[in-house]
Amino acid sequence: MNIHEYQAKHILSRYGIKIPKGMIAYTPTEARAAAEKVSGRGPWVLKAQVQSGARRKGYFLEKDAGGEGGIRVVRYRRHIAETAAQMLGSTLVTMQTGPLGKKVSRIYVEAFNEVERNFYMALAVSRVAAELTLLVASLKDEDILKAALNKPDKILKVKLDIAGDTRPEQVREVIDFLKLKPRSAAHLEKLINGLHRAFLENDASMIEINPVGVLKNGDLIALDAKISFDDNALFRHPDILTLKDDCEISERELQASRYKFTYSEFDGSVGCIVNGDGLALAAMDLLRDKNIGTACFINVKGGVDKDKIASGIKIIMTNPRVEGILLNILGGFLRCDLIADGIVSAASEVGLNVPMVVRFEGTNKERAREILENSRLPVIWADTMEESVDKLAVALEEAA
Amino acid sequence: MSVFVNKETKVLCQGITGTQASFHIQRSLDYGTKVVGGVTPGKGGTLHLNLPVFDTVKEAVAETGATASVLYVPAKAVKSAVKEAADAGMELVVSIADGVPLKDMLEIKQLLKGTKTRLIGPNTPGIITPGEARLGIFPENIHNPGRIGIVSRSSTLTYEAVLETKRAGEGQSTVIGLGDDVLIGMDFIDTLTAFHNDAQTDAIIMIGQLGGAFEEVAAAWYKQLEHKKPVIAFVAGNAVPFGHKMGYAGDIITKGYISVQDKKDALSDAGIIVVDHINDIHLKLAGLK
Repeated sequence: MNIHEYQAKHILSRYGIKIPKGMIAYTPTEARAAAEKVSGRGPWVLKAQVQSGARRKGYFLEKDAGGEGGIRVVRYRRHIAETAAQMLGSTLVTMQTGPLGKKVSRIYVEAFNEVERNFYMALAVSRVAAELTLLVASLKDEDILKAALNKPDKILKVKLDIAGDTRPEQVREVIDFLKLKPRSAAHLEKLINGLHRAFLENDASMIEINPVGVLKNGDLIALDAKISFDDNALFRHPDILTLKDDCEISERELQASRYKFTYSEFDGSVGCIVNGDGLALAAMDLLRDKNIGTACFINVKGGVDKDKIASGIKIIMTNPRVEGILLNILGGFLRCDLIADGIVSAASEVGLNVPMVVRFEGTNKERAREILENSRLPVIWADTMEESVDKLAVALEEAA
Repeated sequence: MSVFVNKETKVLCQGITGTQASFHIQRSLDYGTKVVGGVTPGKGGTLHLNLPVFDTVKEAVAETGATASVLYVPAKAVKSAVKEAADAGMELVVSIADGVPLKDMLEIKQLLKGTKTRLIGPNTPGIITPGEARLGIFPENIHNPGRIGIVSRSSTLTYEAVLETKRAGEGQSTVIGLGDDVLIGMDFIDTLTAFHNDAQTDAIIMIGQLGGAFEEVAAAWYKQLEHKKPVIAFVAGNAVPFGHKMGYAGDIITKGYISVQDKKDALSDAGIIVVDHINDIHLKLAGLK
């Protein structure tokens, strides 16, 4: 689960990390009032609150939102409301949002902080080594990815303990790497320990401060903040669950998550029903080879509840983008016959108006086939994943 | 021969009295797996599925001599169950449940270091040696004994790989699902090593997936190997345009290895046969003969 920048900053500030003065605003009027509260004089920074990186370099889909990106520095008070009006309600596209972008429902108004320099700091999990890793780089944010690829030595990686505080020698290592002045040393220790504790105590999966600003007096300030939480551990953190922004995810995604299914939307035309993420990925690859895009996929995982499965299938059937449905189920834990029941019950409620190719394999596949044949739904049968994609491509062409 | 489990392996089930555990353990028993007992705290001394139930893993091991344990306990109980199994000296632990917290897995990986306990999973269909032993939730009816080893990071694509061996007229020596989670127990290197040491395995299918650098690391390991068995690899996730990701930390940690193509290139470069479509695997298998 991801949260907004302003929420992430408030969490970090509870762990002793310094953040700029800021207030959230849902309307242009609120934005102007917020600006006055956070600073007597400009400039101010207006930041679109969508859960994505690279907002500064993003662009808005709407023409009247102005040519700038999702982070704007405003020098004069009289321009605050106008700038806020351009951003609020508009759709921001960044390299991380996908081409559909994300709607800006609120902006964060901050006092502008003059800094001497910036650096990158993040805490994440190295998967292969299974370690908690602190990442530090003395770079501008746009260069971070390139550096990761071309100049890995420009990024310092420090393995942190999974219990207890960061050790003094680790803090020392970061200070030396960044060549920070001695007056920043105590601030850096506070920053790293705050980050470390915030990560472990909240079951985060990633915290990124991009960038940390170094103020004239040596103090360090988090100019941005991103926190992702481990979905599997949210049961331990009811307080964090309340931060979930339902606007960030589509109505369908929300529905699917209620049944503990995963659902993702893209900009193509085929809806996929699968029981594994790998299966979804492989199906999407095959579709793309035929120049067919995926509209959405739902992963019903090891579902055992017939009604939930039917509701999941309905989410795909009622997506207006969907012009064809590809169902690939490899029953193990999940029984194919439950899926067949689900298809029949969903189709009887919302109708099946697009071509649907069905491929069952594994547990109870014969029974599943029987159920669908008895239902007389016009499904197209396939034996392998490849065949299912081939047959759907033909059916889509015929339907066009 | 086979890897990690065979018909002699004495298997214990932690969480045996649960509904799913009962269903799958019964199937495993029917399959011929040597399940010797179960553990459910508070139910020690009773019988379940005609098997003795114990309160602790230690007691169970002392009584039955079990060396492998399959866990059907819920995600939040996985950490303590793995710890108990490791403390009892279990050689192999297979954890089925999905949804184990990341922090718990970090702690599990740390506590297993230096022990003889190997973990498969979590969030895995388990491990099956066809005709001999089934630990997990595999649909056993699609398997048949043979000489192809399969290891996969994607649960459902594991089944797809099994079907490919069948299409090629082959069977499987052992099939291992590494688990779909961010952090997993055994990885490609651990399992490929075992398959290389197994006289019954002639070739190996490995199924990779977007995320992490597991494939890159395995490729580097394979490349320096002196005596190589043929490995056929598929990596899923090429068409994924945008993940729901935040920030750059994940990409930085993998040194920028972010695309499926990166993984395929690394595998090819190491001498592994890479297929673009999973349904092409049987053609490559036929080509090995």
